[in-house]
Amino acid sequence: MQVINADRENKFSRWFKDRKSIDSQFGTVLVLLILILLQTVVLGFDYDSFGHWFSSWTRNWINILRNNAAIGIVSLGMTFVIITGGIDLAVGSTLVATGAFIMTLIDTGPKGVLGNLGITGVPAFVLTIILAIALGYILGTVIGLLITKGRIAPFVATLGAMKIFRSVTQHFMQGYNPRVPREFLKISNLQIGNLMFMPIIYWAVIALILHYISKRTVFGRQVIAVGSNERAAQLSGVNVNRVKTRTYSLMGILVAIAAVIQVSRIGSMDFANAGSGYEMDAIAAAVVGGTSMSGGRGTIVGTVLGMLIIAVMNNLLNLFGVPPFLREAFKGLIVIFAVLLQRRERS
Amino acid sequence: MISMKNITKSFGSNKVLKDVSITINNGEICALIGENGAGKSTLMNILGGVYQMDSGEIFIDGEKVEFTTPADSLNSGIAFIHQELNLINDLPIFENMFLGRELIGKRGRLDLEKMMEETEAIFKEMNLDLDPKTMVRDLDASYKQIVEICRAIMMDASIIIMDEPTTSLTEPEIKRVFQMMKTLKEHGVGIIFISHKLNEVMEICERYMVLRDGKLVAEGQVEDVTTDDLARFMVGYNVRTDRLTRDKKIGDEILRVENLTHSHAFRDISLSVRKGEILGLTGLLGDGRSELFQSIFGADEVLSGRIFLAGQEVKIQSTEQALELGIGYVPRNRKENGIIKDMNIIENASIVTWPLFANKGVIDQNKQLGLFENQKQKLGIKLQRITDNINTLSGGNQQKVVLAKWLPANPKILILDNPTQGVDVGAKEEIYDIILKLAEDGMAVVVLSSEAQEIIRLCDRALVMYHGEIQGEVSGSTMTEHDIMKLATGGILDAS
Repeated sequence: MQVINADRENKFSRWFKDRKSIDSQFGTVLVLLILILLQTVVLGFDYDSFGHWFSSWTRNWINILRNNAAIGIVSLGMTFVIITGGIDLAVGSTLVATGAFIMTLIDTGPKGVLGNLGITGVPAFVLTIILAIALGYILGTVIGLLITKGRIAPFVATLGAMKIFRSVTQHFMQGYNPRVPREFLKISNLQIGNLMFMPIIYWAVIALILHYISKRTVFGRQVIAVGSNERAAQLSGVNVNRVKTRTYSLMGILVAIAAVIQVSRIGSMDFANAGSGYEMDAIAAAVVGGTSMSGGRGTIVGTVLGMLIIAVMNNLLNLFGVPPFLREAFKGLIVIFAVLLQRRERS
Repeated sequence: MISMKNITKSFGSNKVLKDVSITINNGEICALIGENGAGKSTLMNILGGVYQMDSGEIFIDGEKVEFTTPADSLNSGIAFIHQELNLINDLPIFENMFLGRELIGKRGRLDLEKMMEETEAIFKEMNLDLDPKTMVRDLDASYKQIVEICRAIMMDASIIIMDEPTTSLTEPEIKRVFQMMKTLKEHGVGIIFISHKLNEVMEICERYMVLRDGKLVAEGQVEDVTTDDLARFMVGYNVRTDRLTRDKKIGDEILRVENLTHSHAFRDISLSVRKGEILGLTGLLGDGRSELFQSIFGADEVLSGRIFLAGQEVKIQSTEQALELGIGYVPRNRKENGIIKDMNIIENASIVTWPLFANKGVIDQNKQLGLFENQKQKLGIKLQRITDNINTLSGGNQQKVVLAKWLPANPKILILDNPTQGVDVGAKEEIYDIILKLAEDGMAVVVLSSEAQEIIRLCDRALVMYHGEIQGEVSGSTMTEHDIMKLATGGILDAS
């Protein structure tokens, strides 16, 4: 009897070790599950029925996810950038710039660009979104070209862009308060049943698309190749500069989408502060999810998990009543801990 | 005087030094020559305290010494000047002279004045007109060497080991370093001069020592021998030269290069390759052949010159374009340039062909699998699972994977840079067979190699490079290791 037991135990631990070595995401999933379990326990069960408890639990989760959708989308783009060995500090400022652009276009006041052209309603919204994405693409591409053709270190190029984009936006938007039409807010706040989860859907769809791009397309695999060994990639006929530039262009597009979500969530934007710290949160999510800062390694699934870990952790700290100023410290701790853990696993 | 007696050294099962004994006198310039892998570096690294010998003894002025670290060796008066110089570019000369043993004045301040004075004194002693305040960055390669030598002199070195000091120097710079060596000799310093360039050995050295396969095969006075003799000593008599044969069908010219010039690596190169031909390129370290073909492949820029593909002039700006034009390139140093360590075997073998067989940017997984299975069979790649990491393969199989990524792209011309570097003997022969088969099928193949044997056995003809220029061509029955070595060391073949 005991022998059988020992055997079973061996099998389990072997399976566990196997999973750990084959699937790099295994550890991350485990941490996330533990955090979710902890969160569930802390939330407690003083409800009159399971149904009641479940709907409350779901509501809490929808809140967490919705609050993190925009930054979650940004972190996906950041993953591509970091895999190539780069970094993008300008995401917060690009968000503000595209956000201001969106609001200027759809303003219902006397200065609204599309309103003055006589375009209103759904066509105006569609046009706005297309133009915002185009702007994000252009800003991202400019950064990418500075880095590849201009040979400026990504840290420096995006630091410069970060200052320029926000400063210029603030200058042009001072004393101007665009009014976002009510219907535009439906993009983020559409209620289905009595739940509001549209941003979560955008995040999920984009994550799925990017996961596919990363795993199945020439571009996605070339990103890995360039990040892992730039010289070898180049000598294999890969246009390294183009691949790198495209990751920044993609980043710009994703930031523009995040800006649409942000603007349509609350209908306004604080141009001085909105999006600040996004770059660090996006990097943190990618790193916690197993993306290597030196390039070559990282997955979309990992970054989604990383984002979730940080989000649940935040929620837990909230539930525990940890003072708000201390929460950032915990975020810092997770990032450092995650990297330490990954280093141990690798060696 | 230093003598090394009965030195042996093995790395694993590989015996690198077999009972080698040498002596170097003070005030003597002594050449240590031999082919790559003959054991020169190992022997000198033992003398420099970098490696420990398995058995043997070292004596300095008759006294037995033991070195366990490079510092031990340095303290005994032996200075090892490596090919990669140990200077900090952003510090002035005099601070570099005292690197790691800075002179400290009162209250922990650096005594810059004293350091400067002592540097000046050394320069004066060595008859050098050099300002100690010059930044090392602003010195040319020869003066950097000289600063390192002066640093060694300052530390009372009685023996200086110079590992191929002239490789990256121009002609006037070499003269300058030689002048310095002569000055050292007058000061009673012994110099071990490691070099491949036999002309230089004849010019500057008094004595020579030749290593081959870990044994000292010849030594004596330089005045008693010619460069021909030295080349013969290095190569040995009984080398295997069974030339590989194939069904030769040489067709039209595929690639022609005219007067190609690079910013520093090569000058005024003209060559042509035909369909079905195997052209070899060889020379010593720093001859510029890798840079030349990386430029043709679009991975490096050229200053001037023209490239023609099948008679049409092309301007190749990127490797992507080269791939589209039908040029393939298998790089040297597989680990740095060939494999992508974060990708699995099949991805490493498919990276080149992804864009060629993609459907709107999406990789065709079935096609990828089919192409790889085909190559795997043709090249005889041995592996467990195609999704294993590339690092799980042996060197030979990794090299085949790097080769396999190019073949389905069906290049018209394939450039192979050191194709058998770091693969075992069996795999080497297999790779030769693959190359012969490719040429038989009408591909133009260019083999760059530092192994003369490889060139002789594989190629129809070979160009030998020296200091960024084509020194000469060998072909057919006149292609011998002796002639190649002579050209590679800067010599000229006799007309006969």
